[in-house]
Amino acid sequence: MELLELFLQFFSNTGFFLADYRNIIMLVIGIVFVYLAIAKEYEPLLLLPIGFGVIVGNIPFFKGFGIGIYEANSVLHYLYFGVTSGVYPSIVFLGLGAMTDFSFLLSNPKLMLLGAAAQMGIFFTLLSALALGFAPNEASSIAIIGGADGPTSIFLTAKLAPELIGPIAIAAYSYMALIPIIQPPIMKLLTTHKERVIRMPDLREVSKKERLIFPVVGIILCCFLAPASIPLLGPFFFGNLMKESGVVERLAQTARTAVIDTATIFLGFTVGASTQGDVFLNPKSIGIFILGAVAFSIATASGVIFAKIMNLFLKQKINPLLGASGVSAVPGSAREVHMMGLKSDPTNYLLMHAMACNSSGVIGSAICAGILWSFSMK
Amino acid sequence: MTGFEAITHHNGWAMAVVGATIVISGLAILSLIISQLHKVIGLLEKKNKAPVVEIPEENLKESASAENCPANIEVTLELYRPLIEELDEQFQLADLYALAKKYHLHHPHLSIRCLRDSGTLESLGDGFFRLVG
Repeated sequence: MELLELFLQFFSNTGFFLADYRNIIMLVIGIVFVYLAIAKEYEPLLLLPIGFGVIVGNIPFFKGFGIGIYEANSVLHYLYFGVTSGVYPSIVFLGLGAMTDFSFLLSNPKLMLLGAAAQMGIFFTLLSALALGFAPNEASSIAIIGGADGPTSIFLTAKLAPELIGPIAIAAYSYMALIPIIQPPIMKLLTTHKERVIRMPDLREVSKKERLIFPVVGIILCCFLAPASIPLLGPFFFGNLMKESGVVERLAQTARTAVIDTATIFLGFTVGASTQGDVFLNPKSIGIFILGAVAFSIATASGVIFAKIMNLFLKQKINPLLGASGVSAVPGSAREVHMMGLKSDPTNYLLMHAMACNSSGVIGSAICAGILWSFSMK
Repeated sequence: MTGFEAITHHNGWAMAVVGATIVISGLAILSLIISQLHKVIGLLEKKNKAPVVEIPEENLKESASAENCPANIEVTLELYRPLIEELDEQFQLADLYALAKKYHLHHPHLSIRCLRDSGTLESLGDGFFRLVG
């Protein structure tokens, strides 16, 4: 008898007994993410940790033993601190800075305007989220998805609406992974064949001095303008200065490999694990996903349209496809622009120019995060 | 509260307009600064350079071809022959230059000019050339 009781007691603590339909739904989503990462290679560096994190976070467990990510003193909770405190996004930005080559941007600075224009999706979504009844702090966190920058979205949400980190991070990274599906139709719809075959001028050679001065000028100007973006842009430009200086190559190498990789692993895994079905599956999450898609699409469209507007005034026309890479999804959107350009003219190489817009998009979305955070400080 | 009423209530219009203006003007200023950066650096470097002694143009032309072109044009030709063979019989110099860059050959512009000056590359008009010999 005791044997049966013990077995029943044990069974009542197992995942098989505790599971409800929400866990099952999330487990399926996690498996789909893992599948997309491995089989389709859609942003595997992000989708694999997130997908597996979703699976881990949705295994039902007996609450109160310090196992789950939302339970104090659990291991996952400690790891998740890097997300809620904004530490991981800052570290990711350090590595990004150490990877980024600003030569393309420095040789054609007007492409920076496309990085600014693509941020319009953020402000359009801010209005849409407010109109749907989200509170201003939530609306700002949702809007930043339009920047197509996962770490920035997580950073701002951690500061403004920590309870929404799960759905916002998943939405941001999902749309980044779905760039090959979302962006091409918008680019094609908004441009003519004649515009898509516009050739960009050869890039001039950029001196080392320029590349050294840029991070210093960049941090001063951007952070004087929006001081709240210091936690993101500070490490970003510092990483870039390490890379360009050439005197701390060992540090730069570590920042762009081991450091960013470690942060990405824990960021992805814990964000995935934070999507417990009972917390994640609610009408707000659905609203966030819809608004995220709107934000991303508007960001793409506004970049393309702005490039077309610039062409009205420029002697040397810009290929308007480049506007789509003004979102900060590096290097996914640049790659997509390049592919679209090649489809129209197999000898037209837009990649380097698209990377210029992409890197300015990273700066633009971080500034937007700082601005939105400042608006919420009262 | 939803719709336009909610946007107005939360000061959404102002947030969107001010936010968009700040980010565009910020990046526009940064773009303006970096577009002038190389000019400023060039100006400063010019200032620090020693005064240049002017050489008559004829002498300059002579010395440029004599000093800069490789002593033995055959060596340059040996390097460029496989590249030229990759191209059509009549080719444009831009294509040869692109190939030279692709294979990381040093000073492709100078080398191609020397091949041209030495008559190794013969102009056929309309921007096309062919290898002589």
